[in-house]
Amino acid sequence: MQKDDFSKSYVVEGKLALPYTYFAGRLGSTFLTTIRDQQKIMGVRCNQCSKVFVPPRQTCERCLSDIRENWVTLENTGEVINFTVVREHDKHLPRKTPYILGMIRLDGADTPMVHIIEGVNPESVSEGMRVKAVFAAESEGTILEIDHFIIS
Amino acid sequence: MGYKNKKRHVGIIGIGETKFSSHREDVNQPEMIHEAVRRALDDAGLQIDDIDCVVHGNMELFEMVHQADMWHTIGTGAYGKSAFRLTTGGTTGGTLVCGADNLVASGMYDVVMAIGFEKLQEGHTTGGITNMADPLWARKLQSGALTAQAAVKLIAEFGEERARRAAMTYRIIMDKHACKNPNAHRAFHLEWDQIDDLMKHSPPLIGDLRLIHMCSQSDGACAIIFASEKKAREISDTPVWIRDHITIHREETLNLHNNFYPIQTTHRFAAEKLYERNGIENPLEYFDVFEMYDPSAWWGVDWLRDFFLLEGDQHIQMVENHDIMIDGKMPINPSGGVIATNPIGATAMVRVAEAAKQIRGDAGEHQIPGKVEHGLASSFGGTMWTVLTMLEKETNW
Amino acid sequence: MGEYYGIDVADIFNSMQSRFRPEGAEGVEASIGYDITGTGMWELRIGPGGMSLDKRDELTGCDVVVHVDAQTFVGLNIGKIDAMAALGAAKLKVEGDFNLFAATGKMFTKYVIPGQEVVPEQELLVLKKTISVNQRFAAGPVMGTFLQGLKEKKILAIKCPVCGRLQSPPREICAPCRVRNDEWVEIGPSGEMRMLEYCYYASPDPLTGETRETPYGAIGILLDGCGENEVFWHLLRPDQLDDVQMGIVMGDSVVHGSRLRPVWSENRNGSINDIKYFEIER
Ligand SMILES: [Zn+2]
Repeated sequence: MQKDDFSKSYVVEGKLALPYTYFAGRLGSTFLTTIRDQQKIMGVRCNQCSKVFVPPRQTCERCLSDIRENWVTLENTGEVINFTVVREHDKHLPRKTPYILGMIRLDGADTPMVHIIEGVNPESVSEGMRVKAVFAAESEGTILEIDHFIIS
Repeated sequence: MGYKNKKRHVGIIGIGETKFSSHREDVNQPEMIHEAVRRALDDAGLQIDDIDCVVHGNMELFEMVHQADMWHTIGTGAYGKSAFRLTTGGTTGGTLVCGADNLVASGMYDVVMAIGFEKLQEGHTTGGITNMADPLWARKLQSGALTAQAAVKLIAEFGEERARRAAMTYRIIMDKHACKNPNAHRAFHLEWDQIDDLMKHSPPLIGDLRLIHMCSQSDGACAIIFASEKKAREISDTPVWIRDHITIHREETLNLHNNFYPIQTTHRFAAEKLYERNGIENPLEYFDVFEMYDPSAWWGVDWLRDFFLLEGDQHIQMVENHDIMIDGKMPINPSGGVIATNPIGATAMVRVAEAAKQIRGDAGEHQIPGKVEHGLASSFGGTMWTVLTMLEKETNW
Repeated sequence: MGEYYGIDVADIFNSMQSRFRPEGAEGVEASIGYDITGTGMWELRIGPGGMSLDKRDELTGCDVVVHVDAQTFVGLNIGKIDAMAALGAAKLKVEGDFNLFAATGKMFTKYVIPGQEVVPEQELLVLKKTISVNQRFAAGPVMGTFLQGLKEKKILAIKCPVCGRLQSPPREICAPCRVRNDEWVEIGPSGEMRMLEYCYYASPDPLTGETRETPYGAIGILLDGCGENEVFWHLLRPDQLDDVQMGIVMGDSVVHGSRLRPVWSENRNGSINDIKYFEIER
């Protein structure tokens, strides 16, 4: 077999840019506008599985029953059950690095949600820390209606 | 190759479609998918626990959600089950059926649910398709699935007047079918006396391809449940059997932009192989329904010739004589087809679902009036590749 | 005047002033004609001072004229009929500046049937994003050789050692023969136009996310030295879209297409843009 000649190989800079429009749907919109307008975080309960999900969902992923009406109001406080420190910067990230991304289980919920943790430096954050939601003054209708969670 | 190597027969025992539309601001992706999943489960009379495996697919650049099957688990019911993701462009829905059929036929799973979806309002369809092309060359030139190639070909062969009239006749027939299908996205109630007006005044997209000729951009999902013969007969009174399926791929076909005829199409190639190995000598006579993936009226007319292995102007005559109407000699797309409804990742699966409903005899207002025992469904995708699926009412082949 | 859905065409026009949204018409200075079949003609003028509406006998001089029947017009205004659907079915015809017509959607609030004011729908959140990702593509030795050739105004094709097929842009293998291509051949640079995709539809350029200018022509050219399926894909000089002829070969019937030559860019860096477009050879 002939030897490959790579002398003519080179790298071309490219880009992929396309417009997208995402719909939160009824359930997602209720969740986010309630955070925005009332500073209140809501989840949904599956009565069959006795689980409270946040962010909310129309169907329980385990038993697939329809739980969209079963709203429950959660506390704005919770517990860090896991975390990571984001150190490599990328333009798509919501914060300058380094910052802490935590799995936070809100009081009253069974599932954790991912959010940004502030008020502690990356070296000192640990599982079990108590946190409280800090709501954004202005956002664009995403989960960043909660600006971050602060160590309490 | 083909069905002779199947370990066992595979039957369709549950079908679920959403209503297709371009306004689904009220649901997110898993919520929309769940509507089809729920309907398929209800149709089969099953619970999610009865499903052994879930096969999921769409074209991810259309919504730009990678590994969409993870997020969608809350709608698909794949939690704790075997799950696969397949994505092959426009043929995705057909490939999902092939995948599910193979998984059951192999003996690996008894009951498999396949789910195809797309939420095209969330992305830019044509922009997304251009990205399938080679980034160093064709991406700049590609116009997505919009092309006037079939129009150029039909006009060159049959003259402007006859070709344009055939394409618009085909279009109106599809609209008349769509008006009978409550799930169809676009049903305009076009009338025969509008032909001349539409030929002149529908806004042009590319060359002789006009807006009215082209498929819609739809949101929606389709779910089909497949089962082994034993299970299928236990669960369903009217299982529809997957007799055989064939997939034909090819290299990227920029070289087909050349007006050099005849060309070998993957449609004809697939049809020849499939009929040969199944002993089908006259497909027009054998099949009672054909659900064709017809992205535009021009393609619909042109491809009739390939799928039925016709010569000369037989395909044009089929359209001119209205043979392809729901009560005609060879009903094509009683559902209204892809021009009416195109949620791309679901589209090819809807072809199979609709052909299966015809064989079950419960398609509703768009049920073919005569007997329907043998069905054919096609998928089209990428730069001209094909999946063909054969469906049967009995297992006596 | 006929009523449709319980509403008169005049109701729609009479309520336009109160439904006008200045914020949706910012920077627009234009006139829009409405020709409602069998009912009458109206001219809507939008400018810095707001809007004005007049009944007319003719609509010459409008930037865009909308031809539509009364039922479709009412249906569009109360949200019963989708504009794309009406356009597709040619029940709505737009003559002139289409983008201006499309922008009128933002200039007015929806017509509300008196007595049927509905409780505002739940607010449904929509997130609009242009996702933009930088990419780096390895050209590889085969595409690299071809692209380097463009820098020197050479169009290269690669030849299959089995069937002799030329491919340009080149591929490393000939798929039908399942062999590696190994010989380079210079083709063109002029040739005969075969396929013309006369694009009216403005799709985004996926490299930038910007909407392309229309109409434009994507073309297949049979460059000199090539035959049968060996076409080359590029763009046509935009102002020559209506001057070219497609070549078509159907069995024994041969129609020759226009002769085209490439127009090279001054600064060539080994990309598709090294050729600006192809133009008619005179
Ligand atoms: Zn549950």
